[in-house]
Amino acid sequence: MSTLKGKELRIVGFLCNWCSYGGADTAGVARATQPTDLRIIRVPCSGRIDPLFILRALFNGADGVLVSGCHPNDCHYSEGNFYARRRLEVLKQFLPVLGIDDRRFEYTWVSASEGQRWKEVVTTFTERIHALGPAPVLEDAQALFRVADMTLSPLHALGTGIQAPLEELKSAIKSRLPELDCVLGWQQGHDAIHSVPLFMRSPEDVDKLVWGPLNVNNLAVYLPSLKGKKTGIVVKGCDSRSVVELLQENLIKRDDVVIFSMPCEGTLDMARVMQKLGSYKTISQTDSDDKGITVTTDTGKHRFDMSLWAQGKCYGCATPGALLADVRLGTLHPVTPAPTTPPELAMLDAMSLEERRSFWKAQMDRCLRCYACRNACPMCVCRDYCVSDSRDPHWMTQDDSANEKLFFQTIHAMHLAGRCTGCGECQRACPVGIPILALRQHIARAVGTLFDGYQAGIQPKATPPLLGFEVQEKNIHEREWK
Amino acid sequence: MSTTRYVEQNALPALLEALRTAFGQEQRILVPVLQPAVKESVVFKPWQLGMAFTLKKATVPPKEAVLPPCETLVQYKRTKNPENPAELTLEVTEETHCQPTIVFGCRPCDARGFSILDRPYLQGPFADPYYQRRRESLTVITQTCNSTGNTCFCHWTGSGPTHPEGSDVLMTAVENGYWLEAVSPRGEKLLAALSLADGAPHADAAQKVRENVNATLEPAPDLSKTQARLAARFTDADFWRDQTARCLSCGGCTYFCPTCYCFNITDEGDGYGENPGRRLRTWDSCMASHFTREASGHNSRPNTQDRMRNRISHKFSTYPETWGTFSCNGCGRCISNCPVCLDIRAIVLAATSD
Amino acid sequence: MRIGVFICHCGSNIGGTVDCAQVAHDAQSLPEVVYAINLMYSCAEPGQAAIEEAIKEYQLTGVVVASCSPRMHEPTFRRTVERAGLNRYMFEMANIREHVSWIGKDKEANTNKANELVAMAVEKLRRNRPLHAQSFDVNKRVLVIGGGVAGIQAALDCADGNIPVVLVEREATIGGKMAKLDKTFPTVDCSACILGPKMVDVAQHPNITLHAFSEIESISGYVGNFTVTIRKKSTYVDWTKCTGCGACTEKCPNKKTPDAFNEFTGPTTAISIAFPQAIPKRAVINPDYCRQLQKGKCGVCAKICPTGAIKYEMEDEVITEEVGAIVAATGYDLMDWTVYQEYGGGRYPDVITSLQYERLLSASGPTGGHVKRPSDGREPKNVVFIQCVGSRDKSIGRPYCSGFCCMYTAKQAVLTKEHIPDAQSFVFYMDIRASGKLYDEFIRRTIEEYGTEYIRGRVSKIYPDGKGSYTVCGVDTLMGKAITVSADLVVLAVGIEGSKDASKLAEKLRISYDKYGFFMESHPKLKPVQTNTAGVFLAGVCQGTKDIPSSVSQGSAAASKVLTLFSADKLQNDPQISAVDIKRCVGCGKCVQTCPFGAIQLTEIRGQEKAQVIDTVCQGCGLCSSTCPQGAIQLAHSTDNQILAEVHALCQR
Repeated sequence: MSTLKGKELRIVGFLCNWCSYGGADTAGVARATQPTDLRIIRVPCSGRIDPLFILRALFNGADGVLVSGCHPNDCHYSEGNFYARRRLEVLKQFLPVLGIDDRRFEYTWVSASEGQRWKEVVTTFTERIHALGPAPVLEDAQALFRVADMTLSPLHALGTGIQAPLEELKSAIKSRLPELDCVLGWQQGHDAIHSVPLFMRSPEDVDKLVWGPLNVNNLAVYLPSLKGKKTGIVVKGCDSRSVVELLQENLIKRDDVVIFSMPCEGTLDMARVMQKLGSYKTISQTDSDDKGITVTTDTGKHRFDMSLWAQGKCYGCATPGALLADVRLGTLHPVTPAPTTPPELAMLDAMSLEERRSFWKAQMDRCLRCYACRNACPMCVCRDYCVSDSRDPHWMTQDDSANEKLFFQTIHAMHLAGRCTGCGECQRACPVGIPILALRQHIARAVGTLFDGYQAGIQPKATPPLLGFEVQEKNIHEREWK
Repeated sequence: MSTTRYVEQNALPALLEALRTAFGQEQRILVPVLQPAVKESVVFKPWQLGMAFTLKKATVPPKEAVLPPCETLVQYKRTKNPENPAELTLEVTEETHCQPTIVFGCRPCDARGFSILDRPYLQGPFADPYYQRRRESLTVITQTCNSTGNTCFCHWTGSGPTHPEGSDVLMTAVENGYWLEAVSPRGEKLLAALSLADGAPHADAAQKVRENVNATLEPAPDLSKTQARLAARFTDADFWRDQTARCLSCGGCTYFCPTCYCFNITDEGDGYGENPGRRLRTWDSCMASHFTREASGHNSRPNTQDRMRNRISHKFSTYPETWGTFSCNGCGRCISNCPVCLDIRAIVLAATSD
Repeated sequence: MRIGVFICHCGSNIGGTVDCAQVAHDAQSLPEVVYAINLMYSCAEPGQAAIEEAIKEYQLTGVVVASCSPRMHEPTFRRTVERAGLNRYMFEMANIREHVSWIGKDKEANTNKANELVAMAVEKLRRNRPLHAQSFDVNKRVLVIGGGVAGIQAALDCADGNIPVVLVEREATIGGKMAKLDKTFPTVDCSACILGPKMVDVAQHPNITLHAFSEIESISGYVGNFTVTIRKKSTYVDWTKCTGCGACTEKCPNKKTPDAFNEFTGPTTAISIAFPQAIPKRAVINPDYCRQLQKGKCGVCAKICPTGAIKYEMEDEVITEEVGAIVAATGYDLMDWTVYQEYGGGRYPDVITSLQYERLLSASGPTGGHVKRPSDGREPKNVVFIQCVGSRDKSIGRPYCSGFCCMYTAKQAVLTKEHIPDAQSFVFYMDIRASGKLYDEFIRRTIEEYGTEYIRGRVSKIYPDGKGSYTVCGVDTLMGKAITVSADLVVLAVGIEGSKDASKLAEKLRISYDKYGFFMESHPKLKPVQTNTAGVFLAGVCQGTKDIPSSVSQGSAAASKVLTLFSADKLQNDPQISAVDIKRCVGCGKCVQTCPFGAIQLTEIRGQEKAQVIDTVCQGCGLCSSTCPQGAIQLAHSTDNQILAEVHALCQR
């Protein structure tokens, strides 16, 4: 369907059946003249509205989306709009990082008796959308490439962890191994600069265990599939947040996991390291000291100081040790907490909306939809039943446009809202280096601001904010409509 | 003696411009382009004058030249009889448009990928017309490797850093330029039509470069028993569990593989109204759970290890069984792009060992 | 599918600003539409007949009607298509009246919009599936929560209708607030005399089980089949043995126990019976004041009790009742008036609430019906009544009128004169609200026959005058001057709010409540007794302010709703509920966590945890659908695909 050319813009409304749809009826009964642009989709409750419906409309060319439900406390289903309020507010804060003007989406509360108010809401919103004009199309954006600046000062001293008690860890694991199905750790990969996940089932396996800045993989990703089996896991501080979040969501059972904590001094940004090493055939030697690693390849000697070559997340890391552990080894570097903005997010923050669209257009154009980002994510619970490739529900086409590919990223990001611990595995796993972590970081920051500094994966007993609500939200306030 | 030419490094853009009209047709020329990011990647993009390009090995192979990640097979439109809206006409339009393409600057492993794809797509009982149209108008100008990387193992699989299979022209870096050698009739025709300097004066230097790189290769392991051993390991669940435990079951390895050719077909839109419906063919991955999920919900490969067994066995056992050669070129992308560095070499060696 | 589309003119209501014939014509090109026509009045009998005929003639399998709001006529047309043999859910409506023709004047824009709304409805309908209600048994017992006059009425009406009733009362006696009143307006009947017999009926009715001194612990289940656990709080007296003789209360040595029934206007004993007409007339020990329970020595009541009913070791007991419907009649409490510092904030003993004054007036009260000042026991001569204390006052967040204060204040002024013939009453008021039968006449008599002085204005300050009385400063807005009155006693008409802890009960009942603790009815005009939870009904002030006759009426109304519900042997659920695709479900439990109704549980299916919807509990809000990341739980008739189809009908790129 096309809009009435020259007169109207495409504005979609999602209204709950009980209050706002009735309010729109009341406005009609009162013959309250309104702009004709809005098309209303009736849903039982504002709680039924998956924020992704709104994103779907915006990605399909809607110029504006309006959501209205019962006033807080008046929900026909008593709580639906409380959940909706949190989800819709997070969505609204999410839009700008995609390059979508957040004024194109609004949510409000209108009761069945508030016909006049409904008229004002529709009129004001329609005028706003007309002032903004037709929504820009992602596919039309000019490609823009930009690279995040990784030179940051860390919250705690970064190092290679060569003082860490690896042998103690090995004996601790060996002593617990008989009661466990397996223990997750790391071993050397195909060459000396790669380490890979290790599944320890025998003492001989334990001898393969390594510790150091090459241990980039977040092993928590394997835990949900091992649910029901007694599993040990060696964690870095950041990995432990994933374990805690999995516990928070009851995706794993506390009794089934034995957590071994090692003091993490940072991990290497393998993307940059591999770029620096370039094409090499063999590694003849690696030397570690407190500060970094020196790698000698057939093409020469390369020095990687941890202060310069760590992963983006390590600079802002405030949790070098596990938040929850059964076996704790070694000592931690002290942390000086300070507000930090991750480098990828800082890069996007500095862009205009148009630049962000151009940026994502350029990034998504090279996405091959391998979904490594999804499968590497410890919090992706759907596993084999991701909506990205399902026909029922049919959220996405198989079209490989930048639009659809970015829409998939919004699905992933929204599903992770309030749950993402920022481990960065999505981005690290991306073979073509798309900084998709920034989308999750942006939402995590919004969640923190909205919910009293909430961070996912800190408290095993905490409820993820989008799975709960407060009757009186401290930081979510209805916006003025005039 | 094949036709050879020489082109100077700084004359490459001019050469690309000249290729635009090669064979008297308007050509799409795919060149490797470096896209900056924290993890920079090299992807093939259509050449335009003034565009920066690179001759680094691409992150993503040029498979899209013959098998795009997403292509429209047919469009369909349903039209109603205005007299009787219950009466429908279905109009189906097959997508036959195909622009002749030149892949420029890929590596021998990439080029050999095309010949791996050719067998199932062209040499089976049916030729795939979409593939065929693209393949028959494809020209491959391959850059031989001056060195090999640490994940390269092309010489294990019957390819090599200077192997001509799948290429029309090989180009080898010599001092200040490139030595071009036609390695197929199509390549002969192409080089003959280009007004470039004769390659003869640089032939020796180029041969030397090629010999040098081939001399650096470690002896390849004996993989003559691999096909049979893998077949025998089909039911060895412990083997596959241990080899694949860390696999995340994403599709990275297959999507970045120059020889993986599985696809999915979906209909998008129902063809009523203004927008026609489209039947899309998109890359699929045998590493995805839904690849073998049946309508009943039953899945013949429910676990990661089943799927990895299939991937490895296909490349080193069942494809060779049908076509007589491994369907792996040893490009190593599945190792370097894997989030958990799963090493196909290690699995193949382990499977081959007694 | 074979879809028929019917575009309604609604006379000129739609036809005036929408080109209906054009919309019908355009609809013919929509997917799977085989028939489209415009009708003058589709809801009228000929219109419905035309739809039925078309369904048969064109073998339609789905119908779209574009007319008024589905909130108006969706049930009508569902019945229409059902008569013609279709499933009632194979129907969709496009609202082209309230949302199109009535709000826009531009015919071209309206027609285009109507076209799009019809296209949306068609796209949704294409994904509709026939839905079938399930029937289930009804447990024909009712729980009434609260034994005030509304709850008593509801209980008696249900019991008389031959329905077993479980009546739960928080206090030791039923009767509620009405039992505390001396007289009622406008007839000045004795409150206890008219309520007493009803209370006795409750006690004696064979269909009523009374649990006094008990509270609701938890409620689970759904309409027709609720399971309720009730905490019977310990009274330390075995009520099966207690005869209510009162011997214990006479001998109890602690005579300084606060008396809640008398609104703390006088003391009682640690073991007490609330008042002489209490039902059940049984003694209760207040453990905070009982010497035996506090210090372990006394035991007087146990020695004196002729039936040996005293049980110091008694503990709370939790019992379970199974019922099919619930009536909430939890009444109200006075708001905390001590926020009014200008009235002393509770520091002045002779500034009391109207409910306390009722007890001072009552013959069963602490003063035996002789009005005495709490401070010195002196009989007051000048009595000042202040109305709207905590009502209609936005400054303290109480914008609403408490409804009955104007009337009882007048009644109390009359009673003051009858108790103390030489007394003078003053009433500070904002407006007199006396809209009930004989109410205004009563106010008039209060002024004209009883000489009560009504002063229109609010009181700004009360302070002791140092001579044992109080100076009340106010303003007379009719005269436009400040005024001071000397008062021996000040009675505050304190505003009301939902009963203490009403919100907690509402959460157990899964019904809504407002910020003043009043329960939300299903519809303010048309469903004042129902709630949004099927099988839960409201009676009395718990739903909003009302006087005794209104409370009694609503009690009866709630009872009639229960009887209606129970008139069928089986109930049918609304099939627009959620269902789990167990293949997609990963058992993460997010839906279980967020469901407002507890309608989803995790069960083990072939060794894996999966979510399962309890069909009869699900209310169809769809929160689970928007919570489930993999789309494994879908709300029938509002599935992701249906809503996405509507989005796609509007936005295509």
